[in-house]
Amino acid sequence: MSEIAVQALGVSVDFGGHLALDGASLTLPFGNVTALAGANGAGKTTLLRALAGLIPQATGEMTTAEYDPRTTPPAILASVRAYGAQAAYSAWDFALSDFPFLSSDPVLCDAWLERLELADLRHRRLSQLSVGQKKSAHLALTIASLGEPFGKIILLDEPTVGLDIARQELVQQACLDLAFAGAACVVATHDMNFIRRCHQVAVLSEGRLIAYGTPATTLTPAIIYETWGVS
Amino acid sequence: MNRTLLAFGSGLLGLVLLIFVALSVGSAGTGWGDGGGLVLLRTPRILAALAAGLALGIGGAAQQGVFRNPLADPGLTGVFGGALLGIAILLGATPTLAWQRPWIIPLAAFLGALLTSVLLVLISGRGNTARLLITGLGLNAFTAAGTLVIASRSNESRELLTNGAYGDWLGMATLELIWLPCLLCAVASILLLTLSRSFDLLSFGEDSAQANGCNVNRSRRWAVLLTALAAAAATCLVGQVAFIGLLAPHLARGIIGPRHRLMMPLSGLLGGGLLLCADTIGRAAWPQNPLSAAAVMALLGAPLFIWIARRSHE
Repeated sequence: MSEIAVQALGVSVDFGGHLALDGASLTLPFGNVTALAGANGAGKTTLLRALAGLIPQATGEMTTAEYDPRTTPPAILASVRAYGAQAAYSAWDFALSDFPFLSSDPVLCDAWLERLELADLRHRRLSQLSVGQKKSAHLALTIASLGEPFGKIILLDEPTVGLDIARQELVQQACLDLAFAGAACVVATHDMNFIRRCHQVAVLSEGRLIAYGTPATTLTPAIIYETWGVS
Repeated sequence: MNRTLLAFGSGLLGLVLLIFVALSVGSAGTGWGDGGGLVLLRTPRILAALAAGLALGIGGAAQQGVFRNPLADPGLTGVFGGALLGIAILLGATPTLAWQRPWIIPLAAFLGALLTSVLLVLISGRGNTARLLITGLGLNAFTAAGTLVIASRSNESRELLTNGAYGDWLGMATLELIWLPCLLCAVASILLLTLSRSFDLLSFGEDSAQANGCNVNRSRRWAVLLTALAAAAATCLVGQVAFIGLLAPHLARGIIGPRHRLMMPLSGLLGGGLLLCADTIGRAAWPQNPLSAAAVMALLGAPLFIWIARRSHE
């Protein structure tokens, strides 16, 4: 296994004339949490989905754990990377106790439900949970699907949105722990506190990667002003 | 686990009781006849109802799973209508050829159902309930009209096709006519059950399913193909019958939860039970001129369905 978890070289995504991602290049190592920052519509979700292998028409060079995510069969890709979408959507009203049965690793899923403080809510259905609780349950399912984290990649889209402060802390700590255990964690987020705790931050603006490095050196007043228009 | 055992155990027990009742009623009188003669006479009809109900219960659950929509049902989305139109076109074009080989009518039904399913997927796109139902409504109306046009122009097949549109074919069941559609119902149902893991993954959206290792396009293609087969085989046995593909998955989900691995088999069990129950009520109430299974199903099923829909929104 190489130390490079994710590599992108000039990756572009064209959604019917709209260039959502414009030649993004970055290399991410295992053992780190990387934040994807940027204003709404900057291309964070598109980059995550492309790296996850969910945008077959993406152009440029891409490797996710040594696989080209566009051409690798979903079952193989699923064994090396997990992807958690932003919206905690479910077509059916599952009970939380169903979640381990929906997971590829029921024991691990149960453990993550417990770690995200959902163990007492097991008998409840999704419709009886709050937005943040639902989101946490989906996160548990996503993280558990990785199995043993070493050498795996986890891509999370806004994992802390809708969570209370205590759960935000749980999720941030979970990401750091996964990285410590040898996974590469990529997190699209607007949460500045979270971004500052990550090992790296990649800043996107209008589909282009405009800055990359440690949060302390990257999030300069100039970059913050350029990205969000605030000082 | 206990709930699962209880649900399947009581479901099977109820079905066995129902089969005994169904074997005992009919135009030749109540009971099993001398040496069980009436039992033999009634067996094909009961087998046909069970097989068609099974296929509809599982096919309905599969269509709901793939569209992620509790209102998807081969009866509402026009797939049934397509199957009947396929049969109508065959009978209209070559009334004699249709009966020469046992597989010709099921094949025509399958092609009709498949064509409607593909149109449904292409036109309605993904996810949107309103678009799915409106497309289904249109396909349903069109296929029904097509069947009626052919029925009204064809002297030989008029009665047969009209009975099919009213879901009144169970009365014609003989072992010779039903063995192949029954087999196809069973095959389609079993193959659909093997997709239950994909339907579970699809519950959380296509991105999530694909990310979790489900080949979404392939699963969807298989689901559409097999649902069309299930609907076509069931149509060959009963004609058109609405509500079972809608009601059975709803009941199953209410009893056992939405996990497809458990919900789909229970939906099949309930589908078989519901259709046999409807047919038996029609035969018991008017032994000389039985009410069609589809009519009983709609009379009892529609209010039940509205009640369930109301309850689920409270």
